[in-house]
Amino acid sequence: MIQRLTIAALMLAIVALLRTAPAQAEPYLAIMTGYKCNVCHVNPTGGGLRNEFGVTYAKVLLPAETIDNALDSWTGKITDRLQVGGDLRTDWSRDTAPNSPSQQAFALEQFRVYANLTLIPDRLGIYVDEQIAPNGTQNEEAYVRYGSTTDGFYVKGGQFYLPFGWRLQDQTAFVREVTGISMTTPDKGVELGYEHAAWSAQFDVTNGAANATTGSGYQVTTQVVYTKPIWRVGIAGSSTQSNIGDRHVGGLFAGLRTGPIAWLAEGDLVHDQSLPGGRSLAAGLLEADWRVLKGHNLKLTAEYQDPDRHVSNDQQTRYSFVYEYTPLPGLQLRAGYRHYFGIPQNNTQNQQLILMELHGYF
Amino acid sequence: MDSLHSLVPLASRVCVVVASLAIAACAGNGEGLDANGRPLVPGGSGSPPPLSADLDSIQANIFTPICSVCHVGGAAPEGLRLDAADSFNLLVGVPSTEVPSLLRVKPGDPDNSYIIQKLEGHQAVGQQMPYGCPTTQPCLTTSTIAFIRQWITDGAPPPAAAATVHAAAPLAITSVVPDAVEPVSASPPQIMLAFNHDLDATQIDGRAMHIERLMPGAPLATEIVAARVTISSANLRVLMVWPSRPLSAGHYRLLVNAGSSSQFSDVAGQSVSVGVPNELGESVISTFDVEVLP
Repeated sequence: MIQRLTIAALMLAIVALLRTAPAQAEPYLAIMTGYKCNVCHVNPTGGGLRNEFGVTYAKVLLPAETIDNALDSWTGKITDRLQVGGDLRTDWSRDTAPNSPSQQAFALEQFRVYANLTLIPDRLGIYVDEQIAPNGTQNEEAYVRYGSTTDGFYVKGGQFYLPFGWRLQDQTAFVREVTGISMTTPDKGVELGYEHAAWSAQFDVTNGAANATTGSGYQVTTQVVYTKPIWRVGIAGSSTQSNIGDRHVGGLFAGLRTGPIAWLAEGDLVHDQSLPGGRSLAAGLLEADWRVLKGHNLKLTAEYQDPDRHVSNDQQTRYSFVYEYTPLPGLQLRAGYRHYFGIPQNNTQNQQLILMELHGYF
Repeated sequence: MDSLHSLVPLASRVCVVVASLAIAACAGNGEGLDANGRPLVPGGSGSPPPLSADLDSIQANIFTPICSVCHVGGAAPEGLRLDAADSFNLLVGVPSTEVPSLLRVKPGDPDNSYIIQKLEGHQAVGQQMPYGCPTTQPCLTTSTIAFIRQWITDGAPPPAAAATVHAAAPLAITSVVPDAVEPVSASPPQIMLAFNHDLDATQIDGRAMHIERLMPGAPLATEIVAARVTISSANLRVLMVWPSRPLSAGHYRLLVNAGSSSQFSDVAGQSVSVGVPNELGESVISTFDVEVLP
């Protein structure tokens, strides 16, 4: 009882005193458990629909309290061949920037549904990820997948997210904005993947965002990850050929578990010839997730970006402090505070954000 | 395994040191930079002009500091680059890729401009912008959007600054919509060619182009669709090619007729030849796919 009161007091203190933010990265769960992405997700590169094991993990091991019998039969499977899932996130946020009035609002951040149709077990399937709300429906991923996503080669073709670095839920993370590869930028093309023991690898050929209106060029993206029980390391690269200028991105990322803390790090370099005069950019992320108790996670994130490595004094940083509480299967509460630091003459580079989020998932 | 676990305390210390260094990393002090983090030009003040209903001001206060964080260069979503050099050409009179029936900016008609619907969060145009608003960054306020509305109501004139930049560059096509990469889900009402200079409208031949439908593996066209060429009254840098009838699902290419000039001139007299000549003496400008949904 005392322990629960302590946790509740800690939550209140965080919300009331330190204010709060929205980083929603889930890769820390993979670091905590030592699992590869495909252990819990249908998509071998992570994110989206959880497989039967992922659903069970989310029901039993993630929440502070397990509801006996209430969800025993739920695995997301409608039939032997069709599995569905979804995420709904709604939040309240307050944004404050220097010399500007604060803004606060309740918002439906997103309601997404996923479906996976298995045509031939372990060989052929169709996957769809659709954002239902807000602002109407929008297809995020839709692809056909052939081959094994657990051991061996697979190919997928259609529209999908590119594999590059940590697949963070927070799409505004500097490493995701600077690389331009995130879960807001699905692309159309094909992916050849390989999963075996500790190895995961992907090779993608896609249109490339730069070519959406120019009708030329392509993007090649590749990633290799080596996973061990308490650590993992990955390397990723992406090159876009387009008639407005080529763009090359390289990144290293790693994860490590030390006791109850999962550490994530990523560093990326970009050379973008499509920007006036060509420009080199850099971004980095360091995140620590402390599993305080079952169902309680404290997330601290430090980020850095240099929007032009040849220009001095223009670097930006941001720090996030987020508490995630998963009281019950299918329900998560987040409260967080984020502070941006940038050049003093730019208000948006120095904003502060408080956020509280309600996340329902199945 | 024991040796592995003995490394954990060391790894913890390393992580704490790295974390401390990360936290100690400092933001730039902005010295010698303007409000968008770019080096000051001699004589520049470093501060953006007050927000007003002209594209120079909208660019400096909204597009550059907020939108072009993502909408820039080769990674710009939907190919929409909103840096100072590209925003006018890729906005005004240009159909959106998400809802091709809507122009991104329809001069004189803010309500039917895609950008306004996108910023105000209308249901029909997908995710509200700026991305993440209101959760991870502020939405633009109604009073801020009002300046963009007013600029559109005033006819969406080009910025003086961008005109200077483009005048120095040779005449060229900057974008084609639809294109070979991004299939359209319905028959496009028009094909759009955007140039970097205002074109000389008197040189435009309204019957100089046609559209051909191609079958896979067949070198010659299986169907020819007549087309009408006009210049956007809203934007003299945008050429519109109107098919004479709706295009059914298939693979198409846009050509300059044999015998017609594939050369375009701008108002300053510069010329550029467009397209790649084929065996029939026509110039192929672009190819694209139409995927008509049932």
